[in-house]
Amino acid sequence: MAAPENPQQQAATIRHAFGNVLSFLILLLIGVLAFSIRLFSVIKYESVIHEFDPYFNYRVTQFLIKSGVYDFWNWFDDRTWYPLGRVIGGTVYPGLTLTAGTLWRIFNALNIPLTVETVCVFTAPIFSAFAAWATYLLTKEVKGVGAGLTAAALLAMVPSYISRSVAGSYDNEAVAIFALIITFYLYIKTLNTGSLFYATLNAIAYFYMVCSWGGYTFIINLIPMHVLLCIVTGRYSSRLYIAYAPLVVLGTLLAALVPVVGFNAVMTSEHFASFLVFIIIHVVALVYYIKGILTPKMFRVAVTLVVSVGLIVGFAVLAVLIALVASSPTKGWSGRSLSLLDPTYASKYIPIIASVSEHQPPTWPSYFMDLNVLAFLVPAGIIACFMPLSDASSFAVLYIVTSVYFSGVMVRLMLVLAPAACIMSGIALSEAFDVLTRSIKLQLLAATENPQINAGDATKVTPNDAVKTEKSEDSVKERSSRKSKKKEKENVEKASSVSRKEKRLLVLPLEASMIAVFLLVLLGAFYVVHCVWAAAEAYSAPSIVLTTRSNDGGLHVFDDFREAYAWLSHNTEVDDKVASWWDYGYQTTAMANRTVIVDNNTWNNTHIATVGTAMSSPEKAAWEIFNSLDVKYVLVVFGGLVGYPSDDINKFLWMVRIGGGVFPHIKEPDYLRDGQYRIDAQATPTMLNSLMYKLSYYRFVETDGRGFDRVRHTEIGKKHFKLTHFEEVFTTHHWMVRLYKLKSPKNRIRGKTKKSKSKATTTTSSKRIGARKKNPWH
Amino acid sequence: MAISQTPIGGGAALLLLPISLLLLLTTLAASLSSDSVVSELSNLQSQSPTGVIHLNDALLRRILSLPTPRPFHSMIFFDATQLHSKAELALPKLKSEFALVASSFQINNPNPNRNPQLFFFNIEFQESQASFGLFAVNALPHIRLIPPTAADVKTDSIQMDASDFSRLAESMAEFIESRTKLSVGPINRPPAVSRKQILFLLAVVLIWTPFFIKKLLTGKTIFHEKNLWMAGAIFIYFFSVSGAMFNIIRKMPMFMADRQDPSKLVFFYQGSGMQLGAEGFSIGFLYTIVGLMLAFVTHVLVRVKNRNVQRVLMISMLIVSFWAVKKVVFLDNWKTGYGIHGYWPSSW
Repeated sequence: MAAPENPQQQAATIRHAFGNVLSFLILLLIGVLAFSIRLFSVIKYESVIHEFDPYFNYRVTQFLIKSGVYDFWNWFDDRTWYPLGRVIGGTVYPGLTLTAGTLWRIFNALNIPLTVETVCVFTAPIFSAFAAWATYLLTKEVKGVGAGLTAAALLAMVPSYISRSVAGSYDNEAVAIFALIITFYLYIKTLNTGSLFYATLNAIAYFYMVCSWGGYTFIINLIPMHVLLCIVTGRYSSRLYIAYAPLVVLGTLLAALVPVVGFNAVMTSEHFASFLVFIIIHVVALVYYIKGILTPKMFRVAVTLVVSVGLIVGFAVLAVLIALVASSPTKGWSGRSLSLLDPTYASKYIPIIASVSEHQPPTWPSYFMDLNVLAFLVPAGIIACFMPLSDASSFAVLYIVTSVYFSGVMVRLMLVLAPAACIMSGIALSEAFDVLTRSIKLQLLAATENPQINAGDATKVTPNDAVKTEKSEDSVKERSSRKSKKKEKENVEKASSVSRKEKRLLVLPLEASMIAVFLLVLLGAFYVVHCVWAAAEAYSAPSIVLTTRSNDGGLHVFDDFREAYAWLSHNTEVDDKVASWWDYGYQTTAMANRTVIVDNNTWNNTHIATVGTAMSSPEKAAWEIFNSLDVKYVLVVFGGLVGYPSDDINKFLWMVRIGGGVFPHIKEPDYLRDGQYRIDAQATPTMLNSLMYKLSYYRFVETDGRGFDRVRHTEIGKKHFKLTHFEEVFTTHHWMVRLYKLKSPKNRIRGKTKKSKSKATTTTSSKRIGARKKNPWH
Repeated sequence: MAISQTPIGGGAALLLLPISLLLLLTTLAASLSSDSVVSELSNLQSQSPTGVIHLNDALLRRILSLPTPRPFHSMIFFDATQLHSKAELALPKLKSEFALVASSFQINNPNPNRNPQLFFFNIEFQESQASFGLFAVNALPHIRLIPPTAADVKTDSIQMDASDFSRLAESMAEFIESRTKLSVGPINRPPAVSRKQILFLLAVVLIWTPFFIKKLLTGKTIFHEKNLWMAGAIFIYFFSVSGAMFNIIRKMPMFMADRQDPSKLVFFYQGSGMQLGAEGFSIGFLYTIVGLMLAFVTHVLVRVKNRNVQRVLMISMLIVSFWAVKKVVFLDNWKTGYGIHGYWPSSW
C-alpha cells in the first residue's frame, strides 16, 4: 500500500488497522462462544456420545483409526444385520469419520493423547466455530465486515444449529453445515474476484461437502439456479463463468469419487440441472464473446444465427434429458427430493418418509423455537440485499428463499435455513445499527460542537467521514480483487460508493434512534437468553443417560442403557447374537460389541419385519424365528417402571405394522381393542400373548404388587405368568433394559413328558421341520 | 372417513321379489349358457367409454343366475345421483377413479379370453333399489367385489374397506390385485393437459423464445424488475414461516368451530403439533411486518427530509414492532407452554 501522505490518510490507515485487529479478536471470541455454548451437554451430563446414529459413526471412526483408510474403504461389517452383514465403506458418507480420524491423528502427532471418543464428542463444537468463521467470510463478501461479524455471532448460537451440534452429537450435519457455508463462500469469492484459485478451492470444498452429507444436492441445485438467475437478469460476466464451469467439471468428477455417490453424480436428476445450466452458460458466453468482437450491426445478424443454432442444440439436449428422465419410474428423482418439490408427494406415496418425525412440515412455533428473533429480522435483510443488488447479494437472497421454502416442507431442513437466516439477520442488524448509530453520533457531535445546529451543518461534518470510509472500502476491495478486476464491476462499485456517500448525509431523529437502538439491543439480548436456554435445557440431553429432577431439587440419573450394554459385553460370548428393535442396533454394536440382527440403517425391510414379527408373535413362534437367526439374547427396553415414554411397548404398533407388511399373518387389528391400543385388562389375547408384552411385563407385578404402568397410566392386563421359551438373565437398575436368553430346546422337551429318548428326538426333529415351514424367515 | 350412514331404503317386500326370482332362475341357470352373458357383457363393456358397465336389476339378476364358478369377477360401484352433491362422500371423485381403474385394467389386459375375467359395473340407487337391497347396502360409498364362487352375494362378496379407496385408483387396484390375483397394472391417468394442448404450448414457447431472448439481451423484461423479485422473495418468506406448507400438506382448515360451543369459531389452536390456517397467516404476518418496518426505517425513512414526519413514523413503527414481537412471544407461550427465561442453574 502507498505510504500515507497526509495526516488524515494516516489516521484512516491506523483506524483501518485497529478495525482489523478488533474484528480478529471478535472473531476469536465468536469461535470461543460457538464452542463453549455447545458444552452444556458435557457439563450437565458427561463427555458421552449422544443418540443412536452417532454411535455408529463412532464405531466407524474407531475402525478407521485402528485399521487405516484402505481397510475402512473395504470394510464389510459382519457384526450387524446378521446373517447378511453390511458393506460399510461403500454405504456411508465418509467425511465426518475421516475428519475426526484426521483430528485424532493431529492431536496424537502433537503428543496430546486423546481417546477416540473425546475427539468424536468435540468434533461438532469445533466445526461450529469453523462454521461461524465461514459465515463471517460469506457475509463479508455479500455486505461487508460489520454484517459479517454480526452474522457470525448470530450463527454461533442459533438454536437450530445447536440442536445438531452439541458436544457429543457426532453426526454428519456436524461438519456438513461448515462445508455448506464454506462452499458458498468460495463460490461468492470466485464470483467477486474471478480468480481460478478460488474456483479450484470451491470444487474441493464441494468435494468435502459431498463426502459429508447427502444434502450436497442442495448446493448443486442452488448454484446453477443462481447462475441461471444471473444470466436471465443480464448479470452474466466472465467471473460468473469462472465461478461456475470449473465447479461443475471438477466438482462432478470429485463427487463421483465418493463411493456412496459414485455414478449418481451424473445419472440422477438431482444433478441434471447443473449440466443444463452448464450448457446454457456456454451458449451465453459465446454470445457475449461474439458481441464483444463484432460491431453492433454485425451482432444483430449474428444473434439471429446463434440464437437459432443454439435453440436447436438446446432443444436437442433438452429432449435427450427429458427422455432420460422419463425412462426412470420416479422420473430420476429420489423420494425425498420429490417431496420437496411437491410437498404433498410424500404423504401420498411414501408413508415411511412421511412417518419420520423430522420429515414433518413445521408449524409456526418451530420457527420461533429454532430461529427465535431471527424470524423477525430476515425480511429486513432480504430488502437490504436488494439495495443495491449485487451478484453476491442475489445469491444470498436465493439461498434464503429456497431454504425457507424447503424448511416449510420438512422441519429437518430448518438446519439449512439457519445459516441463511443468520446471514440475513446479520445484514439487517448491521444496516440498522449503521443508520441508527450514525444518526446518534452525528447529532450528538453536532450538538456538542454547536448547540444551535441545523440540518445544513450536519452535512458539513459528514463528508469528512464519508471520504474516510470510502477510502478504506476501496483499499479493501483493491486487495481482494486486484487480480482480474472487470470494468463493469468497477462501475458497480463506484455507483455503490456514490450511493453510500449520499446515505452518509442522511440521519434519523436523535431520540427515536436511541429508542430504536435500545429496542434492537433488547431483541438481541432476548435472542441470547433464548439460545442459552435452548442449548442448556432443550438440546443437550444425550438420550443415553437420562436425568430427572426430584421435587427437592436433587438430580437423579438413569444410566440403565450403558449398564445393560456393559453387562452384555462382560457376560456374553463375543459371537453371541442379540436381537432388539432396530433403534438399539447401533448402540449395541458400538457399546456392547455384539452382533445384532437389525440396526438403525434400515436398508432391509424384510429383515426388520422378521424381528417385528418375532416380537409380535407368541412365545413359541418367536423362539423359532429367533432361533433360526441364531439369536442368543433378546433386548427389550421398558419404561413402565420409571415412566420413560419412548420404550418398546410404545413402539410396538410399528413392529406389528412393519411385521404385518411382510408377513400377513400378523394383523394390526388383532392387537387393538376397538381400534385402541391398550395393555390393561381390556387388551386383546393376541396382545397379551405377544412376546413383547411378556418380555416387558415379566415379573413386573413384583415391583409394586399391582403392576401399574407409569407410561400408559394403567394396571397391566396379565400380571402373573411364566416364560416357557425365554429366561430372564438381566434387568437393569430401573428396569429400563431387560435382557432375556433363549432357552435351549432340550430343556423344553425334558419339562414336557418323560417319554423314551428316541421318541423325544423324533418329535423334536419333526417339530423343527414344522417350524421351518412356518418360519417366515425361510 | 367420509362414510356417512345415509339410509337408502329398500323395502322388505322389494327384497323378496328378487330372491324368489333368483331361486326360480337358478333352476334355469344350467340351461343358460354363461358364454352368452359373458359376450353380452364384453359387448356392453366395449360400448362404454370408460369400460364400466351400467348395471340394473335385470342385468344383475342374469349375472347372478349363472352357475357358481362364474367365469368372471365383478366389481360393483354403488352410486346414488342424489348424493353427488354431498361433498364429504366424494362420490363423483370415487366414481371417476373407479372408471380409471376399469379403463386401466382394460388397457393393460387387452386379451379378453383370459379366465376368469373381471368386469366393472356401476349401479344407480334410484333405478335399481332392489339390487341395493340384495346386497344390503345402506351406506355409501360402497364398492363390492363378487368373486366367481360367490353363491350368496350378501355374504360371499367382499366389500372394499375405506382404507382401500383412500388412495383412490392406486389402492383400488391393489385391492383388486390382492383379492382376485388379476393384475391391474399401472393406472393410466389422463394427463392434466392433453396432447394437443401440449403441442400448442410447445409451439407458443418455441415462437416466443427468440423474441424473449432478444428482449433479454436488451435487458428490459419483467425479470429485470428488481422490486418484483424483492416482493416475491418476501412473499415466499412470509408463506413459509406462516407454516402454510403444513396447512397444505395436512389440509388444515382456516378455522374451526369450538367443541364446547359450536357457535364460536376457533382461530388459534393450543398445542404445538398443529396449527390452523388463519393462525399461521396472522403469525407469518407478524414475523414479516417487523422486518419490513425495520427495512423501511433504514432504507426509506432515512431519506425523508421532514424531521417531524420521520419522528412520527419511526416512533409509530417502533411501537408496532414492539407490539408484534411481544404478541408472538405471548402466543408462543400460550401455544407451547414455553416461556422465555434465563438459564441460571442452582446446581449442576
